[in-house]
Amino acid sequence: MMLEVKKLEAGYGKLQVLRAVDLNVGRESVGLFGPNGAGKTTLINTIMGIVEARSGDIVLEGKSINKLKTHEIARAGIALVPQERELFPGMSVADNLELGAAFVPRGKAVIKKQLEMVFGLFPILKERYAQLVGTMSGGQQRMVAIGRALMAKPSLLILDEPSLGLQPSIVAEVFERLAILKKEVAILVTEQNVRESLKAIDRGYVMENGAVVLEDSATGLATNPHVISAYLGI
Amino acid sequence: MKLKASWLAAALLAVAAIILPAFLGAYPLNVARSIMTYMALAVSWDMLLRSGQISFGIAGLFGLGSYASALAVLRAGMSPAASIVFAVLFAGLVAFGLGFAILRLRAMYFSITTLALMEIFRIIMHNLHDFSGGPEGVVLPAILFNGEAKALYWICLAGLFVTIAASVYFEKSKLHLALTAIRNDEISARTSGVNIFKYLLIAFVATSMLQGLMGAIQVQSYGFTMPDTAFDANFTLLPLAMALLGGIHSTIGPMAGAVLLGVAAEWLKLKIPYGHLVVYGLIIILVILFMPKGLYGLAKDKFKKSHDNRVKGKLS
Repeated sequence: MMLEVKKLEAGYGKLQVLRAVDLNVGRESVGLFGPNGAGKTTLINTIMGIVEARSGDIVLEGKSINKLKTHEIARAGIALVPQERELFPGMSVADNLELGAAFVPRGKAVIKKQLEMVFGLFPILKERYAQLVGTMSGGQQRMVAIGRALMAKPSLLILDEPSLGLQPSIVAEVFERLAILKKEVAILVTEQNVRESLKAIDRGYVMENGAVVLEDSATGLATNPHVISAYLGI
Repeated sequence: MKLKASWLAAALLAVAAIILPAFLGAYPLNVARSIMTYMALAVSWDMLLRSGQISFGIAGLFGLGSYASALAVLRAGMSPAASIVFAVLFAGLVAFGLGFAILRLRAMYFSITTLALMEIFRIIMHNLHDFSGGPEGVVLPAILFNGEAKALYWICLAGLFVTIAASVYFEKSKLHLALTAIRNDEISARTSGVNIFKYLLIAFVATSMLQGLMGAIQVQSYGFTMPDTAFDANFTLLPLAMALLGGIHSTIGPMAGAVLLGVAAEWLKLKIPYGHLVVYGLIIILVILFMPKGLYGLAKDKFKKSHDNRVKGKLS
């Protein structure tokens, strides 16, 4: 198993957000759905060590990462594409991509190979290599963010709401790329656009009020009455 | 090609700086030393600024270096050269210890703490009568190179070269990526594997050592120091104004600012003694309001604009 989250509890001050969350990601693409405030981003931030876990365990490739700091978790093999603040706008595409690999030993060793992989996935980044990312469109910036995360050659790629703020045609393009990418790396993606993301995932979880309320395959979720009425708007 | 041209220009400037004493008398060399000292302080201040941390403690580390060097000679019998090395290491060691406490702070909290440190160092030296000479300070038994103007110029230039080399290393190495990432967004930096505390500590210790180095060279060149001169607020304010005027987040910007303000300061000191500080204040305000990227940033933007226009012209 790539990632195992066991009975995880976390929150902010007196506010308890995550309630005994269990979640597994193998060598596959897993979706994490739920309404605003369900605890999806808190779960991601707790996995990354940005929010401290109150109890439970997080295991990456057999090793507990619960007590590691964020930069150590990144070096252990998890790359995050955050919901906001995902880029360094004053830096060029080249610097952003280099940064993705520079501080993670596993990425640094294969920097050229990863760069080719990123350019293969997002050819526009090769054309815009010297451009400041702050001057690029939202969709291109998202591609840079995903590219930067991939430069670390992660075992697990976590994407927090990758479609946020993007126009529908770009959203479809991003999920097309994720569908290709799942052959290379395990993926955990949180998303409110359930319809698009179901095309790119193998399995999914639904979170409500800080707890996992449903787990099923992509096909199972697509036909689940609760998912259909609450998230697919049918 | 562009890179080679810039290295060639840097080499020519370095040679010109080395042979300058052949053409100048003692007074202009003294002015040049003053400008080089402020230039090194401005560049070192900017090196830490690249991480987003604004330090007001330049004078504190500069004064600490001055006193460490002077007291190493007077109390431990070190040679002037050894005392300079000692002062650099001492400033680094103090910064390393302080770094564990103050590098957890951000924005104005960090700035105010560094300002307070400067005052704490000054008060300590002021009150340790038997050890530091108290408010009257200390006088060294001899001035470095017997006060020979050319030799003092070259030792100051050596300190500046070390600072510039360190700054260029900061720009060209992985440190540049780490510090820029920290300045842009700490969470994104951490999730990219950047150990924020480690890189802030490296930058803080390195810049403190450089400031201590210039303080040590200063005291050995003048042969005396006292709290009010070693920890003079000008050693914080002037480098800051120079870096802002020249352009922050670069090596060239603070250097250009130091030359412009340094020369202007000499002229203003003659015309309006003490009034030049008002001019510095005005420059800081005007630069922040109308030229936040400084002269170097402005030149870069202009160059980029004309380059883009040329490219567009070729494409159309």
